[in-house]
Amino acid sequence: MRPIAGMFLAGIATAVIGSFVLAQASPDETAIEGLTFLGEPVSEDDLIAGKQIYAESCASCHGENLEGQPDWRRRLDNGRMPAPPHDETGHTWHHSDRNLFIVTKGGVQAVVPGYESDMPAFEGILTDDEIAEVLAYIKSTWPERQREFQAEVSANDRGGL
Amino acid sequence: MGESKLRSVYPTLLPTRRAFLSSALGVSAYVLLPDLARAGSGGGIRALAFDGDVLLAAEATLNVSEDNGGTWAERTTPGKVLAMATNPDRPGLVAAGLEKGGVALSADGSATWRIGNAGLPDGEVNALAIASRNPDLIYAAVRGDGLYKSEDAGETWTLAMDRPWLKEAERDPLTLASVDLETGMGGIWIYAGTEMGLTRVPDCFCRWQDVQPGNAMDALVSGDAPPPENPLPDGEPVQSLASSPSAPERLYAALPSGIWTSADGGVVWTQVALSAATAIAVHPRDETYIAAVIGGTLKLSRDGGKSWTATAAG
Ligand code: HEC
Repeated sequence: MRPIAGMFLAGIATAVIGSFVLAQASPDETAIEGLTFLGEPVSEDDLIAGKQIYAESCASCHGENLEGQPDWRRRLDNGRMPAPPHDETGHTWHHSDRNLFIVTKGGVQAVVPGYESDMPAFEGILTDDEIAEVLAYIKSTWPERQREFQAEVSANDRGGL
Repeated sequence: MGESKLRSVYPTLLPTRRAFLSSALGVSAYVLLPDLARAGSGGGIRALAFDGDVLLAAEATLNVSEDNGGTWAERTTPGKVLAMATNPDRPGLVAAGLEKGGVALSADGSATWRIGNAGLPDGEVNALAIASRNPDLIYAAVRGDGLYKSEDAGETWTLAMDRPWLKEAERDPLTLASVDLETGMGGIWIYAGTEMGLTRVPDCFCRWQDVQPGNAMDALVSGDAPPPENPLPDGEPVQSLASSPSAPERLYAALPSGIWTSADGGVVWTQVALSAATAIAVHPRDETYIAAVIGGTLKLSRDGGKSWTATAAG
């Protein structure tokens, strides 16, 4: 991915998220066809890094194969929702790149004020680059239909939450 | 559910018996009832709906009026109806949540019915909505269980989402409304009234959440004055909700404190009737035409709730 500036994250997003810069693509890096994150091309290296980050930081809850926690549509006893799948059986692909970035960095309460959830905020744990990489990896696992749907949601994201 | 199983459960409701059905449940059941037979009633009405200009009122039985509540005809349903939904893009489509469980579907304005319950657990279907943009997409709340959805006009159902969590407990939706306002997640909202107030979920079923002004977070960050809000009374049951397809940001809610309305999708509410209200419906093409059960009486308003007239019966 080329460097991504915070300009994608207008208004509130900029304030909450700050700006982030992805690893500079080396000249021989090839962009993965049909896959971008926040408008920027994604490379094979980004995906390799993202897969690694997923295994280390996300898989414990969202499942090794992105399958989510068992019975994830049912509330836990504490009233919170389990971790949903990140594959096409979940609802991650309904969210724009910007929304996914904000949720991963700030937790769900960053998009739904006051919301209580077991999803950690990864701010200070993962860098902005790493968050972009892991989300690019998640996106790379989706079939065509989900990718297209999510690309449209991202394109229509005018900055509201 | 296979047809043979269906036949054993609902022997009189199979399409193969359509001819029988239309005579048994259809025209012959359309008997004009004397207004006085149920005069003063209305308090027993569990659900109201507009199918075009036709007003439907579910009490112990289902009654329909084609003249704005002047006269009523009784219709036979496959069971006691607790909730109803219609969709202006498919006139005649009525979905009815049954007290004994399951969803009854009519394609002819409630004359004849089929049952859809494959995949639905046992339990009262006490709230129901048809997606504004897709009459084949139906949502049903099963009491004590969760929110189910059908993408094939009620034939088969899958769990969409657990019940909402409000004030430290899971709450049954008492009413559902498909509200044709964009979520920013490639879909629209489903609003639910519960015994502890209003909540909503995007139709991707990501999470139940409070209704918040679209720009609330911007204000939070920028330090600007927060956008105005006037939520429904805290902790009061929301018995019935309606959003007009002709103006989806216009919502109506029936509460013990009365009828409330919002012009902005549920952020700012104002009260338009002061007696306990239990059911409400809004006309599909005229968002100022509403029917509601207020103080136990079925009333109509043609001006968005400013003034009301009682109907002959309901
Ligand atoms: C401690 C468990 C846990 C870990 C670790 C975790 N998550 Fe989550 N995540 C959750 C839960 C629980 C939710 C559901 C929150 C809710 O809706 O209440 C969630 C929701 C999300 C969502 C929102 C999905 C949607 O469709 O709304 C995203 C995006 C997400 N997680 C990304 C990540 C990423 C990326 C990682 C790794 C960097 C990660 N999560 C690690 C528990 C976890």
